[in-house]
Amino acid sequence: MQSVRTNRHISKILIYVLLILGVVIWMIPFITSIMTSFRSNDEIMTYGFLSLPKTLKFDSFVAAWQRGNLKQYLPNSFIITVPSLVLTLFLSTLSAFALAKYKFKGRNVILGIFVGGMMLPFQILLLPVFRLTEAFGIYDSYWALIGIHTAFQLGFCTFVLRNYMVTIPDSVSEAARIDGCNDFTIYSKIIMPLVIPAMAAVATLEFTWIFNDYIWALILLRSEKLMPVTAGLAKLQGQYVMDWTVITAGALLAAIPTIIIFVALQRYFIQGLTMGSNK
Amino acid sequence: MKRLGLVLMVVVFMITAFPVFSGGQAETVVESKQTMVIYNSMNGDPEPRRVDEALVAEFETENSDIEVVHSIIAHEDFKTAIRAYLTASTPPDVLTWFAGNRARFFIDKGLIMDISDVWESEGWNDSYAKGWQAMSSVDGKQYFLPTSWYWWAVYYRPSVFEKYGLTEPQTWDELMNVCETLVDNGIAPFTIGTKYRWTAAAWFDYLNMRINGPEFHINLMLGKESYADDRVKDVFEKWGMMIEKGYFIENPAAYSWAEAIPFMADESAGMYLMGDFIRDSVPATISDDIDFFRFPIIDASIPVGEDAPTDGYFIAANSQNPEEAKKLLAKFGSKAAQEFNASELGRLPTNGDVDTSMFNASQQKGIDMINSSDFVAQFYDRDTTPEMADEGMNAFMEFWDNHSAADIDRICGRLEEVRQEVFAQ
Amino acid sequence: MGKTKKAKLYNPWAPWLFLAVPLLIYLVWVIGPMLYTFFLSLTKWDGLSAPSFIGIKNYRKLFDDPVFFISLKNNFVWIAFFITIPVILGLALAMALNRDIRGSKIFKALFYSPMVLSLVVCGLIWSWLYNPTQGLFNAVLEAVGLEHMAQGWLSDPTYALGSVITVAIWRQVGYVMILYLAGLQSVDPFLVEASLIDGANKWQSFVHVILPQLRPMTVVVVVISIIDSLRAFDLVSVMTRGGPYNRTSVLANFMYIESFNNYKMGYGAAISVILFMISLIFIIFYLRVVMQEEN
Repeated sequence: MQSVRTNRHISKILIYVLLILGVVIWMIPFITSIMTSFRSNDEIMTYGFLSLPKTLKFDSFVAAWQRGNLKQYLPNSFIITVPSLVLTLFLSTLSAFALAKYKFKGRNVILGIFVGGMMLPFQILLLPVFRLTEAFGIYDSYWALIGIHTAFQLGFCTFVLRNYMVTIPDSVSEAARIDGCNDFTIYSKIIMPLVIPAMAAVATLEFTWIFNDYIWALILLRSEKLMPVTAGLAKLQGQYVMDWTVITAGALLAAIPTIIIFVALQRYFIQGLTMGSNK
Repeated sequence: MKRLGLVLMVVVFMITAFPVFSGGQAETVVESKQTMVIYNSMNGDPEPRRVDEALVAEFETENSDIEVVHSIIAHEDFKTAIRAYLTASTPPDVLTWFAGNRARFFIDKGLIMDISDVWESEGWNDSYAKGWQAMSSVDGKQYFLPTSWYWWAVYYRPSVFEKYGLTEPQTWDELMNVCETLVDNGIAPFTIGTKYRWTAAAWFDYLNMRINGPEFHINLMLGKESYADDRVKDVFEKWGMMIEKGYFIENPAAYSWAEAIPFMADESAGMYLMGDFIRDSVPATISDDIDFFRFPIIDASIPVGEDAPTDGYFIAANSQNPEEAKKLLAKFGSKAAQEFNASELGRLPTNGDVDTSMFNASQQKGIDMINSSDFVAQFYDRDTTPEMADEGMNAFMEFWDNHSAADIDRICGRLEEVRQEVFAQ
Repeated sequence: MGKTKKAKLYNPWAPWLFLAVPLLIYLVWVIGPMLYTFFLSLTKWDGLSAPSFIGIKNYRKLFDDPVFFISLKNNFVWIAFFITIPVILGLALAMALNRDIRGSKIFKALFYSPMVLSLVVCGLIWSWLYNPTQGLFNAVLEAVGLEHMAQGWLSDPTYALGSVITVAIWRQVGYVMILYLAGLQSVDPFLVEASLIDGANKWQSFVHVILPQLRPMTVVVVVISIIDSLRAFDLVSVMTRGGPYNRTSVLANFMYIESFNNYKMGYGAAISVILFMISLIFIIFYLRVVMQEEN
């Protein structure tokens, strides 16, 4: 018993050491960007890209906020991201449920269509989709972006959620059916609560992607006042002026919402099982 | 679960509420204004942005019945987005763009509006030099409005030149002497950051213009001369010799153009062939210690050509508000607007009515340099087609690492193949 | 048996009712433009005027284009790295962090953080780390006496691709970790406990109990990794734009330059279609193997 316990201790310590080492290596670029954001451009020009900051300056953050006009762009990012995220998650749970819990003719073809839609580099779809939004009369509106994000992410979400639902034993839904539940109740009351971990994970990823999108906004919008925060960041890069510290500060500011979402959602995909806790 | 339901409700509320509150669409015309004009520009940098917005505000006060829906898009992205803009049913009416071949490409596709009437009514046919007019015309009609330009030159730090007893070289031999002296003192003569490739194209432009003359250069750009020509090989040979002798910093492809400036700041490199916008990026510690000279003459018997890229405006062919757009264009081309641009940004004006006494010594030196030249080119990637420019700049990068005679033959051979394909159409 | 019983239990229209809206949206917004792209690949189109039909000319030209083959090779290298290193590291992290250890939340957030930083800044910061004169990598190499290995990492044709893929892996690990963390929630803890009680050690129970239950998520991770490697674009475009002279070019990047810089949308569409075909072959092959194992 004693040796088992020490073994366990050793393995725990080993895991910690590896994790900390990994995090340190993983964080080098991030720490570098934080350091850069506190420096000034002249300092970088004079002392080099990676030397330590001489003084702690928040000027770059202020400049990024003002010059990148983040106050104007940030709400747009939410107006685009939140509905896209909710719609794509909701719709993909429907399609994933159908593809995971029913056996019907053409099921594999439909799944193939969802996965196949991801296989084209999406940049080639930019102009065809632009034409589509023109045809719908929604070019240069939030709806154009909400439409394409919702639709385009359906492939990924359906695929992930479907494969997660497959792991839920069929006995669960069959029991409910025998109890007289209809199809929609099985979906909403039985399966959905069990899929929360996967939905939280997918939501985190989707938020990251949609929030950081720029190229769709660039092609489907013409008006600056509708543009998401990434357009503000792009502007910080400048044509002739390369203001590194402001660019990094802006990127760090723009990353905050995504981090918050991650922290908020992560408890949903870790709760379930706690292996190795040896209670 | 309860909390999740609450979150869902908030979210659903946000979905429905946000687009409604914010109007959903951008075209919410302010009621007090009868008409509007949509203007998209690529002046993303802080100072140009400020001036751009100030001009728009001025226009709105002068024309109280017109609302300007102004969007500023980052420079590089604007070049991508313009494809959608020009084919949209409601395009931006007025757009910023590059003069020369880049504008010609759209003119040939019928995407740019004929603005001869504006040139006529504003008197630009008289107030703009003939060169600007020619640059904006196709078959005698004007489509473009050039408004500002800058020059390219070799930039250096006078204090460093002084330290080693050097003076501004006028000829190739003098330049080689300067390079030798710097190398002997452990300084790389030229800094350059070729990560985004275009900086190398400046070297090709200048060597070709100095060795073979501007006429050959521009014909090569237009696809009328062969890249396999021995004259092109001469350019690569001279350039390769400089690389071979260590006249450039090591690993230039690791740096963007601005990341290569610190080598001048810490005196590990002496000179930089660059556009005048370099001044916006040099650190304050050396900003008073920067001067420039004309790229040295190699063959005194041939005409002198310079690169001076020009920017301006045009109106989209299917503009929905052409009258307002023309008014805005008239504003941008006016003497007052160009003087404002020049005094605020140091951009050189195209309108000949602008009072030249307002320029500082450096601007005057640049203007004199261009005025005393025989030919003005735009720049490699503005003078030739986008595809040829892409292949060419890739070739310059390959050449930088491989510059034996056999490599040069191979690279020129491939460029010639591309030229034949691109210009066959 | 099970099948027939189920068939009686539910309305045959039920799955189609669930599918109707999402499928319709997907068909209109994604599959439609995609089929249109297939058509465009048979045309000459500058993105501005009307496309003109030219048959398979674009494809013929593609197979004569050396850049296409460099890009293709690079995509395969990318796949090879992507379906191994990030998948293993991501799974290892998910296993290590899926427990009540102190700070596990922080660790998770930190490993995910590369995903949230804007790509432009990722490219910028990494190019500084790779910088030949002041960069961290060369400094470390010099410090440990390996200065002969110091490089201009992103400008050297030999190392540039590896240097870009390294950054891609750095971003990808957190992504795979998230998917596996979710996947682990569906693993039945009683089966794991039972195997441990039966005398299996941790490694055995991981291989024989946990991994098989994670299989559906592994299918997702591998399929996504293949698709993402073939569509790789952003990092190449911000770090090297395919340079030095196309050595780090990948198909999506090649496609983007041809379509958007060179105004050859038809040619770009042909590249995309080839890319689609390659994805399809890979994924069908992979799913075959997986299915066979299952049966």
